[in-house]
Amino acid sequence: MRVEYINPFVEAAFNILKEVLNTEVRRGELYLKSTTMPVLGVAALVGLAGDVEGRVLFDMSKSTALAVASTMNGEQLTTMDELAKATITELANMITAQAVTKLHDLGFKFDLTPPALFTGDNMEVSDHEVEALIVPMEVPEGRIEINVAIRERA
Amino acid sequence: MDTNTATVEQERAAPQGRVNTIDYKMVTFSLAGKDYGVDIMNVKEIAKAGRFTFVPNAAPYLRGVYNLRGDIIPVVDLRVFFHLPAEKKSDEALENMLILRLGEHVFGVVVDNIDKVVGIQSSSIQPPHPIFGDINIKYIHGVVENQNRLYIILDVVRIFAQKEEEKPRILSETPSGSYYAPVTGPISVPLTDSVIEARDEGGGTDLDFIKQTLFALKRFAATPLNEAWVNRRFEEWKKIQKSSDLQLKNIEDADQYLETFYSPYSGNFWGEDFIQAILQTLPDTASRTIQVWNPGCGKGFETFSFACVLRKRYRDAQIKIWANDSDLLAISQAPNMVFQLDDVPEYFREFLVKGRNGYTFNSTIKDSILFEYHDILNSNPFPELDIILARDILSFLPPVDQNRIISDFSEKLKGKGLVILGKNEQIVEEGWTSLGKDPVSAYTRKE
Repeated sequence: MRVEYINPFVEAAFNILKEVLNTEVRRGELYLKSTTMPVLGVAALVGLAGDVEGRVLFDMSKSTALAVASTMNGEQLTTMDELAKATITELANMITAQAVTKLHDLGFKFDLTPPALFTGDNMEVSDHEVEALIVPMEVPEGRIEINVAIRERA
Repeated sequence: MDTNTATVEQERAAPQGRVNTIDYKMVTFSLAGKDYGVDIMNVKEIAKAGRFTFVPNAAPYLRGVYNLRGDIIPVVDLRVFFHLPAEKKSDEALENMLILRLGEHVFGVVVDNIDKVVGIQSSSIQPPHPIFGDINIKYIHGVVENQNRLYIILDVVRIFAQKEEEKPRILSETPSGSYYAPVTGPISVPLTDSVIEARDEGGGTDLDFIKQTLFALKRFAATPLNEAWVNRRFEEWKKIQKSSDLQLKNIEDADQYLETFYSPYSGNFWGEDFIQAILQTLPDTASRTIQVWNPGCGKGFETFSFACVLRKRYRDAQIKIWANDSDLLAISQAPNMVFQLDDVPEYFREFLVKGRNGYTFNSTIKDSILFEYHDILNSNPFPELDIILARDILSFLPPVDQNRIISDFSEKLKGKGLVILGKNEQIVEEGWTSLGKDPVSAYTRKE
């Protein structure tokens, strides 16, 4: 993954999480991952197109998702209902949008697709011939993994 | 009168009937007087265009390429493709063109006239019958009647997919003769031989231990790739240490052992002597683009050096370098390196521009390099490469991966492509010809 793309995603995730959850955010070590990897339970996916092709996946466990959605809405949510899903989707949208804005300032043009939310157990995600950059974020609600798999358009 | 009312009624009824049932829209056009349609989902836009840029040696139906707002797209003349009579227009005249998008690819398709968008019910599409149209039946998706006109729906995906298939087939045929068979077993064979040999000299176990320690401490894997050096170095090591204790006890020892392994100017700008040596191995090429892969580029000194060398050597070519490293810290600094003029050798100074904090490489050099955070052990999706510059990286991969990556190199390399390894690295497998002279270790695939 192109070096210039990394920071905008890390910064955007950090800023937005800090802002919407109003808490301390700790960033874990970045690393690269290839082939198939398990998804924790709730995954919001935003597609990217333009100078690159690929997608960003926001991956968290169901309990983390509920806790995050509860904090963002200011009420206790107990099931992954419409509101909880919409909240996680919106979070994914906010982070990706801010990253894309930052990238735009650097001169890279990206378009994004509306987020799609996946929930379920024992899910896996595979990308053909693209390795994913994993940005782990620790918040009091739990761990959110931001999984960026993009590549230059040939 | 009667017939008129009938048509009007029919037309009035038709839209109402269609409102609920339209589930397929096609863009219709004519070729040699007959009506054709393509699925609107494949049509990006329509345009009038002319003065296509001729491409020599291309198939006759390829009219050339066209600049569609900055994107260069191939333009296919469907009439020629299907051997239909085409009206000869003057060079200046504009042709009617459908711009199709199939997957990642965008094509221009020249037709006689573009008609309109027709909505139909997909169930009304009938399978093609050989008597319709002058077109090879396998390219026809179906036939549909709409308002007394018969449209032949072309299967554009098939038309263009078929052309794509042809290309890789030719490509895969060429290297097959020299195709490098991935080595799975043989790696251990030469190793054991040499171990036995060394053991006869009484130093085998020591060498074995050293090899193991090097791998444990420095992830340096002793394999046929670097065996010559490891053995040579062991002899030197015995002289240096003198004592009976040859073992590497800690990382400092291991570093000291590996001291002479690294290629010249690792992690630094290349010196004049090395540049000259590299220049001697670079082939003469008529190619307009030179694609380079530089795994393990670290902080980018090597990449910048090589970019400048290539720029001077191939003045007119377009140079593209993919530089990767899995060390995030090192590679993050690479794109924005700033130097003091004194730190940069004379050779590279013509490519520098002065910035606020010091000197950086000019945009020609910078734009030719793409620094990526990438692990070579993951899939390496690069296009066909002219040169792979991988100095001192393979030796630091586990033996199995060394073989895998070398066969990966072979696959990614163009026919006359060049692999440049570290000073003390050799490809011992079949199918490679050594080109370079010390300190450059370069290989091409055997024809």
